[in-house]
Amino acid sequence: MQTLCGSVRSPNPKGGYMRKRLLTGVIVATMAAASMVATSASHAATIDYSKCQDLKSCGGMDALVKAAQKEGKLNVITLPRDWANYGEAMDLFQKAFGIKITDDNPDGSSAYEIQTVKTAPASKVPDAVDVGITYGAENANLFAPYKVVNWNDITPTYKDPAGRWYGDYAGVIALSYDTSIAKAPKSFNDLKDPAFKNMVAIGGDPSGAQEALMSVFAANLSNGGTTANVQKGIDYFSEMKKSGNFVTALANGQNFLAGAYKVSFSWSFNGPGAVATAAKAGKTIKYVIPSDAVIKGTPYIMAIPFNAPHPAAARLWTEFLYSENKGKGSMEIGSTKGMTGSKIFAAINGGQNIWIAGGALPIEYDAMVAKKTNATAPAGYEIPVGAKIVTPTPADQDAAKALLKAQWPAIAGN
Amino acid sequence: MGVVRAHSRVRSSGRGTGVLPLLPFFIFTGYFLIWPVIAVTLRSFHGNKNEWTLANYRPILHKGPYFHAFVVSLKLSIVTSIIGSILGAFFAYVIVKYARGKFGAVIDSISAVFANSGGVPLAFMFIAAFGVEGIVTKLLKDLGWDLYAGHFTIFSFTGVVLVYSFFQVPLMVLVFKPAIAGLRREWFDASINLGASPLTYWRRVGIPILVPSFVGAFFLLFAGGFSAYATARALTVGTVPLVPIIIGTLVDGNVISDQTNLGDALAVGMIVVATVAMAGYIWAGRRAARWRNS
Repeated sequence: MQTLCGSVRSPNPKGGYMRKRLLTGVIVATMAAASMVATSASHAATIDYSKCQDLKSCGGMDALVKAAQKEGKLNVITLPRDWANYGEAMDLFQKAFGIKITDDNPDGSSAYEIQTVKTAPASKVPDAVDVGITYGAENANLFAPYKVVNWNDITPTYKDPAGRWYGDYAGVIALSYDTSIAKAPKSFNDLKDPAFKNMVAIGGDPSGAQEALMSVFAANLSNGGTTANVQKGIDYFSEMKKSGNFVTALANGQNFLAGAYKVSFSWSFNGPGAVATAAKAGKTIKYVIPSDAVIKGTPYIMAIPFNAPHPAAARLWTEFLYSENKGKGSMEIGSTKGMTGSKIFAAINGGQNIWIAGGALPIEYDAMVAKKTNATAPAGYEIPVGAKIVTPTPADQDAAKALLKAQWPAIAGN
Repeated sequence: MGVVRAHSRVRSSGRGTGVLPLLPFFIFTGYFLIWPVIAVTLRSFHGNKNEWTLANYRPILHKGPYFHAFVVSLKLSIVTSIIGSILGAFFAYVIVKYARGKFGAVIDSISAVFANSGGVPLAFMFIAAFGVEGIVTKLLKDLGWDLYAGHFTIFSFTGVVLVYSFFQVPLMVLVFKPAIAGLRREWFDASINLGASPLTYWRRVGIPILVPSFVGAFFLLFAGGFSAYATARALTVGTVPLVPIIIGTLVDGNVISDQTNLGDALAVGMIVVATVAMAGYIWAGRRAARWRNS
């Protein structure tokens, strides 16, 4: 309707009417809206998928799948294929339900996702977003409430009580290293060894990049620090810089291939993808969860924009990602022609287990362990036995960022 | 009245046809330059609840990380412009003097390629050459000089200066060469005929003529260095805090969702600096043009 701005026949009040005309326009529009509400109420069978807030009010799984298949498409955004196993999740969803997924700007940022929700033309708006947790509460009014079947299994700390956004998965900080180096590190303490001179790098500016910030938290923990004060973590990197072990290069795949560093700290859920990418370039890397500090990040969150152009597919995608099923993967699944929606859904792997296979800790992990529905993590991504998993609170993180802003640039000591 | 109107109609129609071919250009600059500048400026005066505020400018004007970022950015662009303009001017002189004809054209093309290199590929190139496992590093090691025996690293302020010089020097060659080539042989001959020594010629004629061009080129290099982003970002992890990198984390990150307006204010700060540099460039350009037109 907005594109029709200025068109004389548009009843849109934004259509450039003179004031008298505007009033008539509003009345007509209100009457039209009222009659539409009346129609949908009288035909209880037609479900407005942009409004239904759980599987039941969406008509059940069979109806939801049917409606999603009728839409035929799903817009996702900023999902790298090698990030938290999203490649497998998208492949399986497309194959099982025959719904085509378009992934806009896979390597974009959370800020980009929110910007797109706000400004994209109607058909390009993402049907679901996966963003940093701070973007959830901040933009809650952009999202439609929807509570998945497994809603109660989602850690309460990380969901909006109204159901507009919900945590999806988190990672733990792992050590990733080139297996060609002489010594295989197992802990933060190991890295102080002169054998690692000119080898250790971090994935960004810790006062602004989450992975790097959590790496500092982990180093801090390994040196006896608490999450309330990351001074010992900063000191760790400062000493490593002085000994020459810490190189202030940006740990990204490209710099690794250029030989800028050999060891870095990464989210566990980037491991399988990074290993595969490095293998293509002829390098072997390995991920290991450090034995002296297990830091789990705050989870990313998922949400359905209220203006999602494929509302049924958006809700099916969300149910799929929050499903705890253990079933078939994209390679095993055959033709699903003629199967009912609920049958397909029950036959395939759920997103929570797909995330586990990608080295992530899904939001329903604890509940799944209790119910024994969790898949086993891939080799090398197991949490060391007896290790305590620590997650810094948002307040801890803010305090750490402030401290880092003041002290971090000086570490370089040019 | 009628006369005036007729007059103005003639003028305006004449102007209209003159402007029409430029319309695509105006649309382009309007959309990609003027509109963003206005939007960023407006947003920089707004808070998160869309209220008017000056609060976004406070962290820039008071000592702290954001103020510090401007200091580092200015330092980096000034240092690399000094290195670039002095070395580049020297090279330009040598090239004009000794490389003529086809050879000169080849050097021009090479300079143009290097002057436009930048971003992540440039960072990659330097790591592959001067990194711990770089080709140049290995070569030097074979020759008995271990770059990494001491505290050298390209992932530092010094390293970024080195990398920036890689495009600053050839850029200087490119923009300064015409000024040197514009020094007329007759001026030199006239000076000598009037009894000046070559040194006096340079002191009293050559250098004074070149100064405006040199200053203009310096401003251009400064603006380029000040706004460069991707190269430094790929080489450092917040250890060389430059303004554009910080803007990047504020407006296009995954962590900080409530400070985009501060990013806009930092951008306005950069626009102000760039405007001053460009004003200097234009002023110097006018001074330099005096000689060319006489």
